[in-house]
Amino acid sequence: MPSNQEIHFDEILGQYRSDPYNYVDMHTVHTGTVRFLVEEGAEVEGASGEWMHKPGTRLYEMNRERNTKIITSKTNGTISSVCSELDGQFVEAGEKLLTIRHPLKKKEIIEGILQEVLFLFEAPERARYYFSMDIQSRIDRKGARSVFIQPGDEIITMSLMKRDTPVYYTGEPGIIHSVYFTPGDSIDQGQPLIGVCAEEKLPVVQKVITRVKAEWE
Amino acid sequence: MSSLLQRIRTHRQAFLGRLDTHPFAPPAVEKILAYGAPVGAIIEHHTRLDRCMDRLRQLIQEEEKQGRVPAAGTVVLADTLTDSSGRFDRAWHAPEGGIWLAMAWPDILLPEFTRLLPFAVGAACCRAVRQYGVDARLKWVNDVLVNRKKLAGILCTTLQSPSGDRYHLVGIGINGNNQVFPTELQSSATSLRSELSRETDLAELTGCLLAELRWAFGLLHYDEEQALQEGESCEQGRDGLLLDVWRELCDTVGQRVEYGFDIQRKPLYQAVAREIDPCGGLVMELEDGSRVTEYSGEIVYI
Repeated sequence: MPSNQEIHFDEILGQYRSDPYNYVDMHTVHTGTVRFLVEEGAEVEGASGEWMHKPGTRLYEMNRERNTKIITSKTNGTISSVCSELDGQFVEAGEKLLTIRHPLKKKEIIEGILQEVLFLFEAPERARYYFSMDIQSRIDRKGARSVFIQPGDEIITMSLMKRDTPVYYTGEPGIIHSVYFTPGDSIDQGQPLIGVCAEEKLPVVQKVITRVKAEWE
Repeated sequence: MSSLLQRIRTHRQAFLGRLDTHPFAPPAVEKILAYGAPVGAIIEHHTRLDRCMDRLRQLIQEEEKQGRVPAAGTVVLADTLTDSSGRFDRAWHAPEGGIWLAMAWPDILLPEFTRLLPFAVGAACCRAVRQYGVDARLKWVNDVLVNRKKLAGILCTTLQSPSGDRYHLVGIGINGNNQVFPTELQSSATSLRSELSRETDLAELTGCLLAELRWAFGLLHYDEEQALQEGESCEQGRDGLLLDVWRELCDTVGQRVEYGFDIQRKPLYQAVAREIDPCGGLVMELEDGSRVTEYSGEIVYI
């Protein structure tokens, strides 16, 4: 984690001011023939509904051995680029197909900056997660920002197909500053579960939040 | 008179010769059984335990303290459990007359196949009790039901030992000759005795279960080997061999269900179960026609 001196707020905020967007690249999930369902400049929506069960805008379809899979948008925004030369072509897995320009909200900007500053502990698999009983009771008593964790602590239980697996913390010692999931939520692999901050650096993190809140309209 | 463990091993051997191995050719069957061979390599029997899982954890720690690796497939059996529990610390009633066991399996499968381990255990339990003539079915993921009443329950957890090795601990409870349930379970639980109106030889049933566990765990490892050779994963649409066996036993698709992460404390929504996807996810259709796929949590039939 950078020190106070290493965080150049003006520079970071300047970047967000000049380009307050997140660029989401969409890659093919497997091999197949691709057909685009959107054009550059199109507005797209992410999944919605109480259970996020209503799919977002249809972006493209993949056809492999007569099986067609429709890929939908996970976020809202504008299609900023489409690799239209691939339309109708057979492509390999992992090929970039298009980019969505997602406009950032103030909360997302704060989170974006914090995620550069905090140590992020990520979900090892797509599964549902909840805090271990000990951590949850400490959070309930004092709040997450009073809970200190260190490598080797059993902090979270991962539940997948009715198999519960304890997840041990492997990052820097510190307090749980940000919690990115609601216990029982389904989280994709690689998504952050918690953001951890060394105790002595808490004032720096607080400064980030205060600056953005004050300066961002 | 032979000991209980000898009788279990004799019955296990007999059931291995009668396994339903369709649609696999003899070389594949041989390989599957070889992969599953460690199941029950060591069996420890107790007349009474608090929990089989706790004893298994203790065994693993004892082995590691002596610089040894616990044997894969080690099984702890008890005639009765005094402090048994299910998921979310739910009560599990384990009096004399049932099969109560826990088994350790090293964490050596790829994540895609580890996630199917609870399916393998469910399939093994379901196939074992069906051999006694009950029409047992699996409810996603691995509840074994007869006429919507629970005959067997499964608990799967993962243990990381002090040395850093990881083991899957599988707890299995089958209501065999026990017929009396606590009031709160009377409408939702059943036993082989209740269904068949006769006693079951528990050593024979245990042998049968171990034979089926050997088949199911072996199949899971064989499935992994095949997937690696094919270069395909469930994410890419590959339908697994273990899941095919499991699907034959499952009656969830087509049922109206209520879903929740912890269904007893917090049911979330109702839907119709439409399919089991290649990764084992339950695809459900909501009232507005949209579909949601879950990879965790539990359901009840409504």
